[in-house]
Amino acid sequence: MEEAREEFVEYYAKNMGGVLGWFKARVYTIERWLYGAHRITGILIVLFMLPHFYSTGWHPGLWGDFILGIIVTFHIANGIRLILAELGFAVGKPLLVKKPSQRPVSLEGSQRYLVALALLLFIVLAVIWAYYALIVQAAT
Amino acid sequence: MSTEVKEYALPPEVLEETVKASEELWKPIKKVKFRIYKYNPKRDYAPHWEEYELEVSKGMTILDALLEIKGEKDHTLGMRYSCRMGLCGSCAMMINGKQMLACQTRVIEAAGDGDVIELRPLENFPVTRDLATDFSAFFEKHKTVKPWIIRDEEELDNPTGPYKQTIEEYARYYQFTDCIKCGACLSACPTAATDYEYLGPQALAQAYRYLVDSRDDGLDERIAVVDVAHGCWRCHFAGSCSDVCPRGVDPAQGIQLLKGLIIRRKFGFRPHKPTEALPAKIAKKKEQ
Repeated sequence: MEEAREEFVEYYAKNMGGVLGWFKARVYTIERWLYGAHRITGILIVLFMLPHFYSTGWHPGLWGDFILGIIVTFHIANGIRLILAELGFAVGKPLLVKKPSQRPVSLEGSQRYLVALALLLFIVLAVIWAYYALIVQAAT
Repeated sequence: MSTEVKEYALPPEVLEETVKASEELWKPIKKVKFRIYKYNPKRDYAPHWEEYELEVSKGMTILDALLEIKGEKDHTLGMRYSCRMGLCGSCAMMINGKQMLACQTRVIEAAGDGDVIELRPLENFPVTRDLATDFSAFFEKHKTVKPWIIRDEEELDNPTGPYKQTIEEYARYYQFTDCIKCGACLSACPTAATDYEYLGPQALAQAYRYLVDSRDDGLDERIAVVDVAHGCWRCHFAGSCSDVCPRGVDPAQGIQLLKGLIIRRKFGFRPHKPTEALPAKIAKKKEQ
């Protein structure tokens, strides 16, 4: 009983967000949604790779292929955005003068356009993939 | 010579207006329900929520409301505050699910159309009691990035010139010096939600602040601290740290620039432009 109590207290006293903390995006900006989606798509891609490595001919069926394509194209498009941001592009310059309630430059500057471009790239790639998976491949 | 002391009084109509405006600001206009997280790890099995109802005015901040609750309704409420004007960073907490300073948030604005305000301690920080959290790990992380100017001791003893900086050099790091260590960024960070050892936005932004300072010589020392498994590469630019920062420090930008700096250095480019204003540094470079 005492052990159970200690575990309980440790859980609440640590007060960590946990895995659900990745997806608490409601009150934050769109980048937080993209972060959560990037995580979950990354994990799903790794899960797909396990049977894929076992037998490269295996594929998850017609609609499975379509969903896999959506997951992979999102990860690619957002990944390109992240690579650019991490190289220091489109995050703006540090400010010398701030307003009293300054909003972050890295989120409200040219990053807005980069997010829009990444989402556009995702849609284009996903549509191409959907055409290939659902129409071209299904016909053969 | 004698100085006359003049009695100064506001003109009656201005005085009347001021009193009226002040009365309007502090007149109770709405009843708001506060849901507050109560938990004492030394005594309680699990946290529970307590509700208090307060008449709030237009000018009342969350901190004012908490002090009123502590004074009149529940003296066991645990919280931390100090300066009451957004300078010390003691009173950061989760107000309706978002990290904010209690002293800078008005109750009316936080409640919006609703009339419930939910107060929680900062996530990702161990709870000491109720709304107060333990910052010792956070401060340790800040210390590991060596947040001070690193110079040769020899040069400190026998200085060769003043540490002059151009405005461009100053602008490179000024934004990050405003950090008050309130912990809102680490609390909002989704990476820190599952990685206890992650250095966090605050420490990494401070590392960048000292790396790009033209007076600093600790490039290699400091990069060895941030370029590790739980260092800057764990950041995937969720941007929440910048979103919640009450001082406009923009730690997310600092971390991205830090990563760019490390990548440039790894590929053999200059991490940032060498400084022209420092006599000692120029002398050192010429010797090499």
